[in-house]
Amino acid sequence: MSAVTAPLRRSRETAPDPRRHLHVVDEPVIRHTLAYALVMIAVVGASVFGAVALNALAAGASVEARALDAHVSDAERTYAQLVADVASLEDPARIRETALELGLVPSGPARFITLERNLPADGAVVATERPGATQDPLKPLLSVER
Amino acid sequence: MTGPPRRRRISAPRLRTRTAGDIGVRRIRWLLVIYALIVLTTVGKLVEIQVINADTYADLGVRQRARTIDLPATRGRVYDRDGDVLATSVQAATIYGDPRVFRATSTPDGIAVPPAADATEVGAQLAPLLGMDATEVTERLERDAHFVYLGRQLDHEVGAEISELNLPGVGVLQEPQRVYPSNGLAAQVVGFTGIDGEGLQGLEARYDTVLSGQPGMLVLERAPGGLDIASGVRELVPPEVGTDLVLTIDRDIQHVAERAAMDAMEEHSAVGASVLVMEVATQEVLAMASVPGFDPNTRGDEDRSTWRNRAVTDVFEPGSTQKALTVAAAIEEGLVTSDTVMSVDDGIVVSGKRFTDSSRHETEQWSVSDVMERSSNVGTIQIAQELGPERLEDYLRDFGYGAPTGGAFPGESGGLLASHEDWWGTSLPTIAIGQGVAVTLLQAASSYATIANDGVAVTPQIVRGSVGEDGRLTPAAAPSEHRVISADTAVQVRGMLEMAVAGEAGTGARAMVDGYRVAGKTGTARKPAEGARGYSGEYVATFVGFAPVDDPQIVVAVMLDEPRPQFYGGLVAAPVFSEVMQAALAARRVAPDGVGQGLRQAMAVARQQAEERAQQEGPALEADDVASPPVGSPAGGDGTGVSADEP
Repeated sequence: MSAVTAPLRRSRETAPDPRRHLHVVDEPVIRHTLAYALVMIAVVGASVFGAVALNALAAGASVEARALDAHVSDAERTYAQLVADVASLEDPARIRETALELGLVPSGPARFITLERNLPADGAVVATERPGATQDPLKPLLSVER
Repeated sequence: MTGPPRRRRISAPRLRTRTAGDIGVRRIRWLLVIYALIVLTTVGKLVEIQVINADTYADLGVRQRARTIDLPATRGRVYDRDGDVLATSVQAATIYGDPRVFRATSTPDGIAVPPAADATEVGAQLAPLLGMDATEVTERLERDAHFVYLGRQLDHEVGAEISELNLPGVGVLQEPQRVYPSNGLAAQVVGFTGIDGEGLQGLEARYDTVLSGQPGMLVLERAPGGLDIASGVRELVPPEVGTDLVLTIDRDIQHVAERAAMDAMEEHSAVGASVLVMEVATQEVLAMASVPGFDPNTRGDEDRSTWRNRAVTDVFEPGSTQKALTVAAAIEEGLVTSDTVMSVDDGIVVSGKRFTDSSRHETEQWSVSDVMERSSNVGTIQIAQELGPERLEDYLRDFGYGAPTGGAFPGESGGLLASHEDWWGTSLPTIAIGQGVAVTLLQAASSYATIANDGVAVTPQIVRGSVGEDGRLTPAAAPSEHRVISADTAVQVRGMLEMAVAGEAGTGARAMVDGYRVAGKTGTARKPAEGARGYSGEYVATFVGFAPVDDPQIVVAVMLDEPRPQFYGGLVAAPVFSEVMQAALAARRVAPDGVGQGLRQAMAVARQQAEERAQQEGPALEADDVASPPVGSPAGGDGTGVSADEP
């Protein structure tokens, strides 16, 4: 309760100055209300425009990203389908059936021939070599046989 | 007289009435306290929401506006050893309906709300696209449910067409569909998946976790009206594509094996046939054919018995093909050699039961090689008696009998081989000649591959490796190896098996392959009676062999189940072996080791064939004359470079 009575004690000790609320004031500042309002409107407008523009850009980028996603997805789907189609066309049974339809006949038993002499690539020894002969790997073999 | 004034001074403040200012200040202070409490409570709640439970409330908020889309993982492909696709996934359309749209309802106030669309009309529009009866579509749309499938795994184009119709209460979903481009090729090996993409059979089931990958998720922000917020949160957890599987199968050899098996089955009226082609050094399976087969794309219409991979699930008595293993064990133990001569009668009695050869003969002095060439039961039993039950069982198990091979073959059977302690008196002779023991075709092929591989057994393989997202092949774990017989023993057995094909008395003459020396053994075994002891009147015909003999590269095993009227392995199975082996050797580019034609002879044959063709078809252009040697041929016009005395 002492806090409540303090002002009373203070008022009793010092006599109130009947003009204490009066003081000299500066000349009132002229406020350009219209300019201030315009600036604020401009700032607020710019902020709103910026936010909307950023949002629009983000939305545009998002739509583009989504379109690209769809495009990629479609391309992947097409690729997977093409892989399956190619594999189906390569099916040995289908090729055989198509060949028979075209009039081809199954091949006979595989045949092979044997050479008496190996080719140089297989380790054949060079028997003779004419001076100035080129290094054609088949030449030595041909020279011998001739 | 100082008392009263002092009392007044003391009591004056108590009695002094409160002014309006006092009361105002007092109220303001109380209000401040109340305001402070309110602010503190609010701040406390804010701290609780924004700090303490921030994540929880953030999740709640996201959940209210987030829309989560599950992204199914694309299942890995299955390739053959050369990268040809055996199984892959494509995007298919699934059509669904919301029957609530087609039902009349009422509001809580009892006001009737008519259906948003007519099920009959929508059904009539959808039926031709779905390939269904309009009545059935309508019936599904009128069911008491929130969601009904109208069609699953339809072509993408069908889904696009239905989407364009923009029918009320009808939606289109994209989901992967497993397809097998080669239809029934290696169907029992590859297996198939269910409609939801889970592996159900074959390697699809065995490697389901590897192939299936991990599904992903896409989280979008959604406005209250249901529209996606374009600039909102967009969180993508991409699905992990399943790992591709590369098999050891060769598609071309597999096709030949399946065709040969099917032709043989039809020609000999068999109930089934299996052909297995294997690489000797690695025991990689090049082909594993079972007929009758099925098309996994339309498996619902197929007989389920065709789903099983007979080469690994079905066991049979190997018959005479077993004799090579018995003889190999005896040679390895030093009891005989290929040249050991023994007296062989046409019958022998063991434990009161008489065993005979397939044809009557006098008592002959045959070498072990002759015993093999003639496929003598009596001679083989005599050799087995020297070997004894314990050692015979040990060798058979070392060759892979009596247990699964250890490869990744779904549904593989281990065969039947009793412990020698449980053998009866007649078990030794019967098992020695391939009766009383059961093996899979894979085990039979693997045992011969061991002989062909200089006595080293290798675990058979069907999976070559896997291909991850980096596109690189990660090889499968190296197969285990162990030696069963010595290289010298293997060479002796190979020589005997060659005589079984090429020898005058050999039973496998029809297995010969032009240009290659072939070794192998026929087998004909009676099938056990079902539900009773003893044997039925049906047979299993087999042939197992390898080529070329000098440097074996390929093993082929053939089994025909209940062929009629011919049932001998040498008559029905050996020709299949020849056809498949020839194709396999060509496909694997194995050099011939047999005696081929000389160039001169080959040219003469070609000229003769060309002349015959020309006579039949009229004059041919010079450029088309295959018999004309090409200009500038190194061999010249007279076959220079080729010996004159070539065969």
